[in-house]
Amino acid sequence: MSENNLHNEQKLLNLLEKKFILKGGSVRRERRVEVKVEPKEIVPVLLYAKENSGYTAFTHMSCVDWIEDGEFEVVYILWHPEEKINFFVKTRVSRDNGTLPNIDFIWRQANTYEREIREMFGIQFEGLVGREEFILEDWEHMPPMRRDFDTAKFVEKTYFYRPGREDAKDVREYVQERTDEELPDFAKKYSRD
Amino acid sequence: MREKSTTLYIGPQHPGITGNMMVKLQVEGDTIVKAETHVGYLHRGFEKLMERRNWLQSFTIVCRICVPEPDPNEENYSRAVEEIEGREVPERAKYIRVMTLELARIATYLLWYGGQSGSAGLLTMGQWSVGDRNYILDLFEDLTGGRVYHMYIWPGGVRRDLPEGFKEKALRTMDYLEKRLDDYDKLLFENSIFQKRAKGVGIIDKNKAIEWGVVGPPLRGCGIQSDVRKDDPYEVYDKLDFEVPAMEGGDVWTRALVRRFEIRQSINLVRQVLDKMPGGEYYNKIPNPHKWTIPAGDAFVKTESARGEFGYYMVSDGGNKPRRVHVKGPAYVHGITLLENLLVGENVADVSFIMNSLGTCPPEIER
Amino acid sequence: MYNDKESQKIVDIIQNYARKHSLFILAYGTGCGAIEIPPTMTSRYDAERFGIRGAATPRQADVLLITGYLATKSLKRVIKVYEQMQDPKYVIGFGSCTINGGMYWDSYNTINVLDKYIPVDVNINGCMPRPEAVIAGFVKLQKQIQEGKADGWDKYKKNLDYYKENQKKIITNWVMPDFNW
Repeated sequence: MSENNLHNEQKLLNLLEKKFILKGGSVRRERRVEVKVEPKEIVPVLLYAKENSGYTAFTHMSCVDWIEDGEFEVVYILWHPEEKINFFVKTRVSRDNGTLPNIDFIWRQANTYEREIREMFGIQFEGLVGREEFILEDWEHMPPMRRDFDTAKFVEKTYFYRPGREDAKDVREYVQERTDEELPDFAKKYSRD
Repeated sequence: MREKSTTLYIGPQHPGITGNMMVKLQVEGDTIVKAETHVGYLHRGFEKLMERRNWLQSFTIVCRICVPEPDPNEENYSRAVEEIEGREVPERAKYIRVMTLELARIATYLLWYGGQSGSAGLLTMGQWSVGDRNYILDLFEDLTGGRVYHMYIWPGGVRRDLPEGFKEKALRTMDYLEKRLDDYDKLLFENSIFQKRAKGVGIIDKNKAIEWGVVGPPLRGCGIQSDVRKDDPYEVYDKLDFEVPAMEGGDVWTRALVRRFEIRQSINLVRQVLDKMPGGEYYNKIPNPHKWTIPAGDAFVKTESARGEFGYYMVSDGGNKPRRVHVKGPAYVHGITLLENLLVGENVADVSFIMNSLGTCPPEIER
Repeated sequence: MYNDKESQKIVDIIQNYARKHSLFILAYGTGCGAIEIPPTMTSRYDAERFGIRGAATPRQADVLLITGYLATKSLKRVIKVYEQMQDPKYVIGFGSCTINGGMYWDSYNTINVLDKYIPVDVNINGCMPRPEAVIAGFVKLQKQIQEGKADGWDKYKKNLDYYKENQKKIITNWVMPDFNW
């Protein structure tokens, strides 16, 4: 891919670099631009992208738990309907008491994403209005999407296994031990090739 | 005189609703003044389960995320893995993938025909279109071995080559369906009951649509030509000839018409793909799944499903399991914020009608 | 004269015969399985041949069809629905996930064995079961009804403490009235 083809992608990055303090930014590939910012820069960057650069569509918002670094990475993904570019804004907050600015006054559907992230990871959003419970009901434990929440242990404590499930687990471990083989025998037997 | 305000609950169990969710309505007389959606009745914690399964095991559960249309999930998952890993996909596999996706689109639209007309009380339509959907499912069974869940599009290509005689069978089915679509027009689109129910109901504002996050047929029903297949082409869509229908209006009627035109485009696409399909390999073999690690990185991929843009955000930490796979289905916006806004001012009787036209699918909202 | 055992037997046979040929199902579409219900009910498979058809409300339904995994939030509603249904009532567990959790056996939000919370008369395995399998399951239920063996509703009343204990283990915030009529 030559440099000229990524002209539109580079344009936004140059504008943002002049205006804001970025922790990093790159053109990932055709139609993908990425910047990293501090949490306090989130609202200005998103507002600038929406009002001045034409990134009017809010596509996605996600959160990744980097337990090794003690941080959550929150990703905002925007979309430019004319230039057809996805724009990623990434930021990191502390795992313990991370708070982020609320952006549902910019895009109101962000409210849903923020409520889900609050419930699943425990990140607080300043001034977020909406029901506390979104998907889970009467949940009293650690937010389930945190990596230190062990779902198998939780299931063992809470629900019933049908007799025979224990064997199934053994098979998994057994198969894992034989990783040197190219393809397990039973798989070969049923393969059509 | 102001009418007394009452609270009505529709769902979670309701025959007219497209899945298991609840809509809490504040009504005055017959008119809705406030709507609030409650979801979470179908939450399975897919994203947590994927953290525990290796890359190939995760692939087998992603298709369960959206029940009516599982293939865009497989496609997204596979493309995200391929993008992070840099794995090449053979040309033939790309064509087979497009064919599978288009067949899935037709099947979903046929099911939608049943749901949309059923919620207006026209039950014959459902008998016809859901019955005809079985022919597509027969093709899938022939191709993949499964009627509903296929687990067919996997990282590196597709799981099997086309079986013998599949091309003729598929073309025959397409011919049959094309003939049937004219019958559907007579039954549904020329039906004055449907016209009167659908016109002017559930209007989406064209100027706000993109900002509100509307995608897919509802967005094209507002007159905005937007389709991931054209905007961010994947697989071999840039080599195929098709149109993206868009119509001004933004109500249930135009959304239905857009789908009506799209199903014809899809039939055409299946024919083109079968015609142009090259020979050769259909699968770039992956290593032993238990040892298969993927370099660190992240990717966001999108697929145009029958209900709109389906996005996957995937992060790998270099291990043999995904770090995070976050699924964004079209219903995530359509079924919550958009629905809550569209319902205000509408009739109670139109709730499931509007939900069907937006393609609300609760399993993909909560995953 | 009508109270003696012999005539009661004849009445039972006639009752069961009538019951088995009009099974009104309340499809609690908990996700996946709901997608194979429309094909089962429509032209190709046409389950109405067996007297199976949908009912809109719990009070009119005979069969509770649990189509797939149950999230804990759904379980609360399912119990409510089940207790609203009139005797005799039957439960069909549809899909592997109602038998042992299926694909979601290690999910924090879905129950694994449905039979521990409400009595299941027939389980249909598969992920997802084909319409033929669904019809086979219904035929099996009909056979059970004819023989008078589909007595899950009776079991529920007699072992209420056991079922309530299991249910309350999961549903921590119990705001429903207890089943006591």
